[in-house]
Amino acid sequence: MKTRVVITGLGIVSPIGIGVKDFWKAAMEGRSGVTAVKSFDPFPLEGYRSRVAAQIENFDLSQHLDFPQGARVDRFAQFALVAAKEALADSGLRMDREEAHRIGVIVGAGMGGMVMGEREVTQLYQQLRPHRVHPNLIPAITLNSASGILAMAYGAKGPNLTISTACSSSAHALGQALNCIRSGQADTVITAGADASITPLVFAGFCSLRALSTKFNETPTKASRPFDRLRDGFVLGEGAGALILESLSHAKKRKARVYAEVAGYAATSEAYHMVIPREDGVEIAETIRLALKDAGVTPAQVDYINAHATSTPVGDNVEIKGIRQVFKSRVEKLAISATKSLIGHTLGAAGAIGGIATVLSIETGQIHPTINYDEPDPECNAPGISRSAQERPVKIALINSFGFGSNNAAVVFRKPSP
Amino acid sequence: MNPLAPTAAGPSRPAAGTSGKENQMPAESHIADQIITALAEYLKRDKKSITLDNRLRDDLGLDSIATIELLFKLEEVFDLQIPDEDLKGLVTVGHVVKYVQKRLAPPPSKKSPQPAARAKRPKK
Repeated sequence: MKTRVVITGLGIVSPIGIGVKDFWKAAMEGRSGVTAVKSFDPFPLEGYRSRVAAQIENFDLSQHLDFPQGARVDRFAQFALVAAKEALADSGLRMDREEAHRIGVIVGAGMGGMVMGEREVTQLYQQLRPHRVHPNLIPAITLNSASGILAMAYGAKGPNLTISTACSSSAHALGQALNCIRSGQADTVITAGADASITPLVFAGFCSLRALSTKFNETPTKASRPFDRLRDGFVLGEGAGALILESLSHAKKRKARVYAEVAGYAATSEAYHMVIPREDGVEIAETIRLALKDAGVTPAQVDYINAHATSTPVGDNVEIKGIRQVFKSRVEKLAISATKSLIGHTLGAAGAIGGIATVLSIETGQIHPTINYDEPDPECNAPGISRSAQERPVKIALINSFGFGSNNAAVVFRKPSP
Repeated sequence: MNPLAPTAAGPSRPAAGTSGKENQMPAESHIADQIITALAEYLKRDKKSITLDNRLRDDLGLDSIATIELLFKLEEVFDLQIPDEDLKGLVTVGHVVKYVQKRLAPPPSKKSPQPAARAKRPKK
């Protein structure tokens, strides 16, 4: 019998709200967090084919957290600090009453400390003064700076790991946190995903890859439109999501409020291509099947899918193909939504934020709209995709998450029994 | 090779001591004031609460990385490069002030290398 693992706390830093309450209100209202990129000074914006992004404005760590060491880490890790603070408070976990070595931290991050990294590289190459490279460059750009700083800030001395699988990083973090608790390595895992790389170089790189939306530069809120016929690429976002995972017995012992159970997880590789998914969707289908099997549920029991759905022409098609292969006629009854329609693609944070939206749907029986889904695309149509909010009980839900490097992940959530 | 060594100076900026700073060296008290101001900003505390006797680690709570960050800031303020071997003598605020004063002082003229005595540079 597998150890049952539940979610007891949520926290978020997103382009449509810092804090779960604000995020969920904006999400249910269908508010877009996508705006025009104001400047990549001194680079001319005309040099960028895409000029929209889902940005977090006026973020200042010190307004959220009194933790001077936090000033030493890059923006993505600061987002993670704030999201985790909220999640811990929400969970009611009292760190002073816990055994610190039984609390782990697992963070998904795709890009790492690109803000400082780019600034320092630029200065070095422009000024040719190696001795003026900042002493914090190396610890700040290291991908595990987020998981490290979370442990320091909150006193978690258990396993401290960083998962980097590009856009699927934090779905994998959720799955690995599940396995960490199942295997008995920890009772509780502070699980998070974070990325903040709306920077001149990263943005240019995604532009050059022709991955970003370019047709909606004048109407930014329309640019992220998963499953819509006019979609033309994803919108780069930034943010962090944090979820407190703990064994059911641990949660019961401390009488914690349980949002949902993390019931199953699968991770696979398509072993196919660095950035292109297999067009037949069979590997996505297999990933979903394995996750459902791990959770011990059948496709017919699933009520809702929080889709990966980045708004790229190929990606959304393939995902729906994969879903249809698994769910067959059940597709007619499934609710499907795309959180990226609201906040763009937050890369390493996407799985955690999708997980939070899913858990909130289980808790509230409400599913946020997929905005800009104006004209269904016959190539990736499903009746459960809606540009309006949906109200329906959600007992079992699934999140999909796919990443560059031919990575797929799926996580299954279940409503806790009363 | 020591990455902090003065020889690593970039071509776009002359090394300290050859930049003409000798002629505009700040007064000693001004140096102390600049250092204490930088410390106060870094520590987010009132500069009046910082004295020359304060030990960086034991009194002001700077760990080794924080000390490195402070020196990084002072290197910028005073256009200096502080080699690794000089770090261990910098225990108190006063040590740092004295060190910076010494580094900014014009070298005694008898020790100044004459242009003719300098090692010949390679042609290319």
